[in-house]
Amino acid sequence: MDKVLVFVEIKGDGPRKVSLELLCEAARFAQNGRFSVEAVCIGRLPDAARDKLLSYTEKLVHFTDPELAVYSPEGYARALAGYAREGGAKMVIAGATGIGRDFLPRVAVLLETGIASDVTGANWLNEPMTFVRPMFGGKVFAEVVFSTSPVILTVRPNSFAMGEAQEKGGEYIEKTAGISPDTIHTKVVRVEEASRDTVDLTEADLIVAGGRGLKAAENFNLIEELAGAIGATVGATRSVVDAKWREQADQIGKSGKTVSPKLYIGAGISGAIHHIMGMDTSKVVLAINRDPNAIIFNYANYGIVGDLFEVLPAMTQELKKRKEG
Amino acid sequence: MDILVLIKQVPDPEALVEIGSEGKDLNIEPKFAINLFDEYAIEEALKIREAHGGKVKAITLGSAKAIEALRTAIAMGADEAMLIEDEGFAAGDGYNTALVLSRALEKEMFDIVLCGRQAIDADRGEVPQMIAQFLGLPHVGVVVKLDIADGKTVAESAFEGAKEVIEVALPAVFTAQKGLNEPRVPLITGVMKAMKVQIPKLTVEDLGLTRDMAGPGGSKTKILQYLPPKKRPAVQFIEGEPAHAAAEAVRILTEVERVI
Repeated sequence: MDKVLVFVEIKGDGPRKVSLELLCEAARFAQNGRFSVEAVCIGRLPDAARDKLLSYTEKLVHFTDPELAVYSPEGYARALAGYAREGGAKMVIAGATGIGRDFLPRVAVLLETGIASDVTGANWLNEPMTFVRPMFGGKVFAEVVFSTSPVILTVRPNSFAMGEAQEKGGEYIEKTAGISPDTIHTKVVRVEEASRDTVDLTEADLIVAGGRGLKAAENFNLIEELAGAIGATVGATRSVVDAKWREQADQIGKSGKTVSPKLYIGAGISGAIHHIMGMDTSKVVLAINRDPNAIIFNYANYGIVGDLFEVLPAMTQELKKRKEG
Repeated sequence: MDILVLIKQVPDPEALVEIGSEGKDLNIEPKFAINLFDEYAIEEALKIREAHGGKVKAITLGSAKAIEALRTAIAMGADEAMLIEDEGFAAGDGYNTALVLSRALEKEMFDIVLCGRQAIDADRGEVPQMIAQFLGLPHVGVVVKLDIADGKTVAESAFEGAKEVIEVALPAVFTAQKGLNEPRVPLITGVMKAMKVQIPKLTVEDLGLTRDMAGPGGSKTKILQYLPPKKRPAVQFIEGEPAHAAAEAVRILTEVERVI
């Protein structure tokens, strides 16, 4: 059987959602018996995260070297590449998260193979396998094939569906990679976690985003209230970020984040191509704009031509009414 | 401080991109620019030189036309530039691009390598990290702040929501993210200088590589075909007074689309 490694990432007390999505997708394509799947975790692994991962995988390998307690691209790349080489892995998959996209290219060089980054679709059972990834900010997609092994992928969050947790827990194995401290030339001095309790935009299922049409920073409370009513993450356009109404971390688009939620609600957003590039893989898009000719309507499933200062509070109120009802 | 800036000439962000015959190639409107994120890299290199002395050299791998991007770097203030001219490698995968550039870097003296965090055409964001691995150097990705003082180099990396402050030993590779600085607009004197300057060219053979390594037989990954984005059905407008349209939108999202 061909071995598939899924690098799993921990955030807070649990695994990141994209890690579970990849374990579920790998379990699905492994059903034909051609593949065996292992989850690989490096560094900090809280008990709750371990238990959760074990209900999504048959085998979880955990690297516990003290040198790997904190993320470093050099250390993580050596550990993951070393384990892939040792077990003859045919595929190494990680989420296209900040960390995944940061160190998987190093893994590819260590294993003298190629990589497909930010993959949004896969034909696992084709011979050879092919992978689909966006280029030009999503204006076109490329179908990529590997001529070397192993296949290395980073996969965009929300590209594959979550499955059910299994009752039967998987096997847990602790290992050390034998990383010596002098192979790591970076030292994390300080980490400033974002002071927010919502899911990051890149992994969010639900997003409410605002643009220039909000007219002022304080009017973003309308966006926040609607987002709060459905548990969504707030996003913004470049012009809003440039005007300092919102932080850079909220920016969706070419020079900001690429999002792929189940629902994207955009209010007061004209639909500049830079913004569209960051959200066009959203599944359902609702746009609210006073201008019936706003470009964003070309990229929306549903549109409301109207004043967001009336529509947004009305939506928030309707959601609250439904919740109470 | 000797700083190398690796830049890429890319189609202008507004250029039309269309899929050609049977998905085998792309027809791209011939308007070009320096990759957006590379401008932050050039600016940061110039600022480091202004504070600490040294020189800034811009390097690109591309076609003969890519020399324009190097001239822009010189016009902004870079001291030197070098073109590695090879269309095959330039159109290749991330691994081959990183291989060529790392071979070129082996011949250079440097303390710092600056790159953009990703090129806005292929959107791979792989090459700087791969170069660092080829050369056995550390890298710090998605940098929004870079401080060099008292023999210490401290970079601030903006991964998604969190910011990491990282101390790194030089030489090292950094990838520039929006927010790092405001790239300067070249002065007319800089543009004049850039037009006259002789920019040396290298071939991949000069770097001990052969052209067949770039073709379909040599690269690690290749593109089988280009596909259009999934087309969304035409927008369905929800009519009526704001309160009515809002209630109808909520009904559709909960009962029809079942996304909330």
